[in-house]
Amino acid sequence: MMRWTRHAPGMALSSVAIFAIAALIGPRATVSGRSSTAGQGAQDRDLVLRGRFLIISHACGDCHGGANNPAAKGWLAGITSPEQEFPIGNCAGAPAAGGAPCFKTRPRNLTPDNTTGLGRFSERQIFNALRYGLRPGETPDVEITSTTPGQGNFPAHPKYLAPPMPWPSWRHMPDQDLLAIAAYLKRGLKPVVNKVQDSEGPPDFWASAYTVEQIGPHPAPAFPTANEKAPQ
Amino acid sequence: MNELNRRLTLLAVLAWSVPLREVDREGHAHRPDGAAATPADTLSAPPILPNRSAVPGVVEVTLTAAPARLSVLPGVTTDVFAYNGRVPGPTLEVHEGDRVVIHFHNELPETTTVHWHGLHLPADQDGSPFNPIAPGERHDYVFTISAGTAGTYWYHPHPDRRAGYQVAKGLFGAIIVRAADDPLAATIPEKLLILSDNRFRSDGSIDLPDPNSPQGRVDTENGREGDVLFINGQIMPTIPIRGGAVQRWRVINASAARVYRLALPGQALLQVGSDGGLFERAVKVDEIVLANSERVELLVRGTAPPGSRLTLQTLPYDRYVPQTRPVDWNRTRDLLSLTYSPDPPLPAVALPATLRHVPVLDTAQASATRVIVLTQGMINRQVMDLNRVDIRGHLGTTEIWEIENLVGMDHPFHLHGFRFQVLDRNGVPEPYPSWKDSVNVPKHETVRFVVRFDGYGGKWMFHCHILEHEDQGMMGVLELN
Repeated sequence: MMRWTRHAPGMALSSVAIFAIAALIGPRATVSGRSSTAGQGAQDRDLVLRGRFLIISHACGDCHGGANNPAAKGWLAGITSPEQEFPIGNCAGAPAAGGAPCFKTRPRNLTPDNTTGLGRFSERQIFNALRYGLRPGETPDVEITSTTPGQGNFPAHPKYLAPPMPWPSWRHMPDQDLLAIAAYLKRGLKPVVNKVQDSEGPPDFWASAYTVEQIGPHPAPAFPTANEKAPQ
Repeated sequence: MNELNRRLTLLAVLAWSVPLREVDREGHAHRPDGAAATPADTLSAPPILPNRSAVPGVVEVTLTAAPARLSVLPGVTTDVFAYNGRVPGPTLEVHEGDRVVIHFHNELPETTTVHWHGLHLPADQDGSPFNPIAPGERHDYVFTISAGTAGTYWYHPHPDRRAGYQVAKGLFGAIIVRAADDPLAATIPEKLLILSDNRFRSDGSIDLPDPNSPQGRVDTENGREGDVLFINGQIMPTIPIRGGAVQRWRVINASAARVYRLALPGQALLQVGSDGGLFERAVKVDEIVLANSERVELLVRGTAPPGSRLTLQTLPYDRYVPQTRPVDWNRTRDLLSLTYSPDPPLPAVALPATLRHVPVLDTAQASATRVIVLTQGMINRQVMDLNRVDIRGHLGTTEIWEIENLVGMDHPFHLHGFRFQVLDRNGVPEPYPSWKDSVNVPKHETVRFVVRFDGYGGKWMFHCHILEHEDQGMMGVLELN
């Protein structure tokens, strides 16, 4: 198992927030293309603003640019310098000395630019990235109904988002919240041209790091587990 | 593998199809009197398919695909699929305007097709997955070679999901379309170079791993590359040349996934053509990136001193995603030896200033601009479905296609049936017009081309020509009416 040498700031805090929100949200929403009929404007705005709130409160900008300030230059536009790369693995020890191989991952441009950002990906592909950790450029634009490779449109050879993207925690957000994030990224942001170099990594695209044993089940086990108690 | 590698090293020196005469380590044949002589020519071209028709303007040939056991490596035999019993298959040589009849017989244990890559012909003769030929079946491919299409093309299987397997097994061959008024043909000797690669187990069998094995997954991602590089089925052959002489090389990339970055260190090359034949003027180049299914025509001029020995190489080319880039991707590989005779140079050959007129397609007439988005294994976010039409167009129209590669790996894009002209690559205008049917779209780049749809309606494929990607469904259907 690889070791992350650096974690996204605020990850632990966000995980707490996720479960609090999850308890409040209703059943599974339909994942579909955006609606553009008149009269939907207010609803769309609410959805986009909900996505904006989730993105700020989940510290997306800490890695993808702009920290927690949507007015900041480079907001969600991806990294612009090598200092913002994540070295993954034991970079200090050479492989010959017993150290794990080291490679670099790079937070991508999340703005809707057509070639360097998410512009050519659908909201459903962004949803599939957040729920299943699947890279939008390597996953068909289809509704996924299983997490078993090869079944229910789940790819036989899944290609996962590079670490430390914390999708294993954030996939527990309800459908409507993930769709709100996708809506904000596609419809609530202006495109920024910033080409981020591809992440490096193992040939299996981290598939061995994202088994149920490694990242736990989804949905989470029923409450209360042995560690929990029902309030009196 | 040591034994195999040793044999390959030996072969690199000797080449297995050397004619029966004495050859030294430098590839020079010795005359009985001991004087130095012209270096041995060890590159053999596949035979031309014999024309059974006596009617002028008709080429009628027989082509059979069948299992065979051949010696493609020294000392071992390999179970292959072969056209007319050889790898590569025999060359189909025709002239512009010819009526071509190919009596094809599928003696393979599986369904196949023969795709006439780059030719302009009726959709049902294109050998696309829409027209499979079952085991044991016969089919006559019938078409007419269009005027103005003289050039270098090739043929290979294109069945649904099995193109990579069948080409890896040995099914590919060249097509040469000749013009009545070729400005180079009469005076300049020609060489055909079909580039292919393959991977073998130590017993000589072709290494086709289980798709779920680690190597199988790398092949799925990168496309299948081999560590043995062939030209016309030969390893490291020798072409002799005399100083001052000029040769015309037609080069075909028939590899499933290997992209060649060709260079001949020690001398510049003159590129005179691409997929669809000659340019208007020769272009001096130091190297050429030749992606899968692309072709080039080169003029190799004997500018090095007598006795020189140059090597055609493929230089490192990084087409890979960082995760599955092979550890030896940055190795330069030798392909062919160009050996100069000791004789004094011949007087320089005069080349025509203009090769032929290449009409420029008028973008102002374009009735549509299509955006084609390439991601890993997908086109426009979908995998191919033969029951779905992805793009509907009309005969008699001109279109601009904008091919955007969103992912970190090159994807060579091929459109069936219609040649096109590249307008720009990542915004950089193409410096001169040329006819293409395949174009590499490097990682995260955009290529625009203009295409004119004339002649033949029906359903046409467009796809990534990394054969493993094609087989995964990185393909779409264009319907013209």
